[in-house]
Amino acid sequence: MADSTVTTEVAHDVHDEDHAHHPTERQYWVVFVALAALTAIEVAWSYLGLDNRAALVLPLLAMMAVKFLLVAGAFMHLYFDLKIINGRLFSWAFGFSLLLAVVVYFVVFAAFDKLPF
Amino acid sequence: MSDVAVAQVVETHDAHDDHGGHRTSLGLSNMKLAMWLFLGSECLLFGALISTFLLSKANFITEVVAGNPNVTSTMPAELIEEFQAAGSVEPFWDIPFTSASSFILLMSSLTMVLAHKAVTEDDDLQTKVWLAATALLGSTFIAGQVYEFTAFFREGLTYDGNLFGSSFYTLTGFHGAHVTGGILMLMSLLFVAFRGKLKSDRAETVELVGLYWHFVDIVWVLIFTIVYLIP
Amino acid sequence: MADLEPRLALPSGSSNGRVARPLGAFSRPRNPTGLVNWLTTVDHKKIGIMYGSAALFFLLIGGVAAILIRLQLAVPNNELLSADFYNQVYTMHGTVMVFLVVMPIGAAFSNYLMPLQVGARDVAFPRINAFSFWVFFFGGLMLNTSWFLGGGADGGWFNYAPNNGIAFSPSHGIDFWNIGLLIAGLGSLTGSINLITTVLNMRAPGMSMMKTPIFTWMTLVTQFLLLLAIPVLTVAQILLASDRLFGANFFNVSQGADPLLWQHLFWVFGHPEVYLMILPAFGIVSEIIPTFARKPIFGYPFMVFSGVAIGFMGFGVWAHHMFVSGIGPLSVVGFTFATMFIAVPTGVKILNWLATIWGGKLILNTAMLFAIALVTQFTVGGLSGVSHALAAHDTQQTDTYYIVAHFHYVLFGGAFFGFVGGMYFWWPKAFGYKLSETIGKTQFWTMVVGFNLTFGPMHILGLQGMPRRMHTYDVVQGFNTWNLVATFGSFILGVGTLTVLVNALVSYRKWVRAGRPDVGPDPWDARALEWSIQSPTPEHNFDYDPVVTQLDDWWYRKYQKDENGVLRQVHTGAEIAQPGNGEGVHLPAPSYWPIVVAFGIPVVGYGLIFSLWLVIPGALITLAGLYGWALEPADDLDVDEHQGDDDHGDGDGDDTAAEADKELEKV
Repeated sequence: MADSTVTTEVAHDVHDEDHAHHPTERQYWVVFVALAALTAIEVAWSYLGLDNRAALVLPLLAMMAVKFLLVAGAFMHLYFDLKIINGRLFSWAFGFSLLLAVVVYFVVFAAFDKLPF
Repeated sequence: MSDVAVAQVVETHDAHDDHGGHRTSLGLSNMKLAMWLFLGSECLLFGALISTFLLSKANFITEVVAGNPNVTSTMPAELIEEFQAAGSVEPFWDIPFTSASSFILLMSSLTMVLAHKAVTEDDDLQTKVWLAATALLGSTFIAGQVYEFTAFFREGLTYDGNLFGSSFYTLTGFHGAHVTGGILMLMSLLFVAFRGKLKSDRAETVELVGLYWHFVDIVWVLIFTIVYLIP
Repeated sequence: MADLEPRLALPSGSSNGRVARPLGAFSRPRNPTGLVNWLTTVDHKKIGIMYGSAALFFLLIGGVAAILIRLQLAVPNNELLSADFYNQVYTMHGTVMVFLVVMPIGAAFSNYLMPLQVGARDVAFPRINAFSFWVFFFGGLMLNTSWFLGGGADGGWFNYAPNNGIAFSPSHGIDFWNIGLLIAGLGSLTGSINLITTVLNMRAPGMSMMKTPIFTWMTLVTQFLLLLAIPVLTVAQILLASDRLFGANFFNVSQGADPLLWQHLFWVFGHPEVYLMILPAFGIVSEIIPTFARKPIFGYPFMVFSGVAIGFMGFGVWAHHMFVSGIGPLSVVGFTFATMFIAVPTGVKILNWLATIWGGKLILNTAMLFAIALVTQFTVGGLSGVSHALAAHDTQQTDTYYIVAHFHYVLFGGAFFGFVGGMYFWWPKAFGYKLSETIGKTQFWTMVVGFNLTFGPMHILGLQGMPRRMHTYDVVQGFNTWNLVATFGSFILGVGTLTVLVNALVSYRKWVRAGRPDVGPDPWDARALEWSIQSPTPEHNFDYDPVVTQLDDWWYRKYQKDENGVLRQVHTGAEIAQPGNGEGVHLPAPSYWPIVVAFGIPVVGYGLIFSLWLVIPGALITLAGLYGWALEPADDLDVDEHQGDDDHGDGDGDDTAAEADKELEKV
């Protein structure tokens, strides 16, 4: 009972931010420059006056997604959280909600016989 | 028997470890987990607002193109003609201005992470500088939004006029309200910092405000592309 | 050496070792008693009891509305209620029952029980927990003031557009519905964040997720559903409020708006809503049935995964409420398939409960009877639900009394019966005495007879074509007999439902007259951790953290395998339960701010409806409350909150058992 080897799941310590997992200041600036550049490209792309809707929209959405991932992964630390115990939970909780939102609202559009873009 | 139970307890429990952190089942901070859950729910909120905007905008254009007088009477004729010609609301935007706003908000995310970094390093001056910068940039963004709204209003886009106005102002208005809430939180942090009490042991608070702030920025990343850039 | 380490209550902040008096903020209430105790409590148990009490109060309102409906429909061409008033009555009946009765009773059980089941001292954020309750309660009260301020909402509990707009519903009733529920929804949302964090992060040592009780799992899934569904309703309500109060055009058909947007947004929320109403009750019977069948739950992993599956799939079936709304054949077919699939995990649960009962040494007390009734009656409701899933059938059934029968069987015959069973089961734990079995069994049979007499005939009425939401019907339509039967049944049901209050009172007085005998920690010889502590639950819950090595750990401390591999009882619960000694335990301090913050919000709500000037003081109260909350000390600096020395952090190895409190965030 109590004296047998109890391989229990011992509670974990909550560590303060382990500095080894932190991005450096330079990395933050690099991410920011990438975000700014992507924004500039997006705007330029929208000015091209492309007729083909897919050619216009898909790259814009792709760039938007990359910006999203940059902010979430670097600034919101999700990429670095993947490396700590159970840190994936943050990405899963957020990612699952996001995926649910996208799928559900996409289906709503489909029910209206419209596509969102 | 009960001694062993207590002994077990003593070996597994120590409410505080060296860092002053606390034991949790997953080793994650309660507050951080709570913030991520909250942001998850916000995805559903803004998703619904964005979807409503897209549907409303599409319906608006359909009515404009069809010449529905209920709709075409709600905005100046020149604008209506431009919408009809373009088959979209693209002519209405001031993309350069909104791009500048977006850039400012992105920059505020940068200053936010720099503020957090400064707090973890107990760098009082940098903490205050970067926090203030973030709040300032955020306020500039809001000022830009206010300017944009008043400009649109003067050009003829009202809240209660048509679907386009209602959905645009609601979506961006809610985003702006979220930014404003963030600015209030930043100023509160700044206040604490100026009282000399924002040290590295409170880094997590700054991190949490940061998470919220970055999320609000992400929503704008989505809004900028989906609302303004994609016709 | 007591080292109180008082500190500013910024979340996650630990002390810098300085005694800091926050600037001008109120200190925490000191040893409050009586009413102030309840108004400022952050104790999950008291909050759970408040949720339950509030729900019973609203149950009376919803129940009166139900009786009015049945009186109106008892005979054809009845003029007891005008058509307009009838609209208000059924709308408010549905709204109150869904949002202010079933959901809060679920919250009551989850709040009271889940921290006990995972071995925690309280939830992750005790003050937010208090706030969640008060904001729900004020929102519910606000909704019901509509009766006195121009009439209740009258568009059906789902308030479809464009009927919910000013043009067709000019009274303020729908505004109250809208804003009142928006406010109550805040409680659900904040509560969900709180409870999810608690389940994931505050379990006893050794309690992996697959060792937590089924009720805790169902609580977790329910809270995830709330987290993700409430925001969708919030947006729908924002759009409606914008239209009604500020002239927006979201549902303005003349402007080209599509009213179906309301339906989609509402039902994307609404379908997960019904699952989150039933899942706590599923959890409850999953605790009751093994206890009184004297067997472990059959197929624990399947019970867990089916619960998760129900939650997950619940987001994929919403448009089965819209089969006749013109969504197009592709959508209809898609949602038919999805809806049929969702019956599978529910069926798994039913089978597992039956398999648990099968071969068990059944103790058919009141709690067990109600649990079995849930299984039976929910199955009936589930079967009619499966028939709705087929869009071709549903085209006939929708908007008839067949649907009314369906959802009352699953919600009343299912969820509510489960809740009553839960009351009988956990009453001794919460209050220290059992409810009378005699009255209980009488109540049970009264409710079963009354319930089935009321709602059984509605299947027939529905298939005969009686539409919903019609204030009367004609003699020639042929609905007379069954309506009269239903009304007759509803009175029996009403009496039966009220009996639980009678039972509480009678049993309490009997207990007091007997000298308040100790009911013991484990009167049912049950399986989960809440039975390992004294009854009524000590304020501090556990003296020390229970260490868990397996599912139903408490049970296996009482029953162990002998040399022949047969389970034998080696201890009674009373022998090995935690003694209830709270010495040195540090509890989260009570606080004024949650109720203050909650109070400001309906003031804003009334302002939005009647006069925008009111918004200002409301917002100021809320904002001031938030700042007070953030700034108040973690504990009252002067009052000795604990009964013994606090050996916080001296780290010399002689930490008392009191050290073993789970982390309580200072929020």
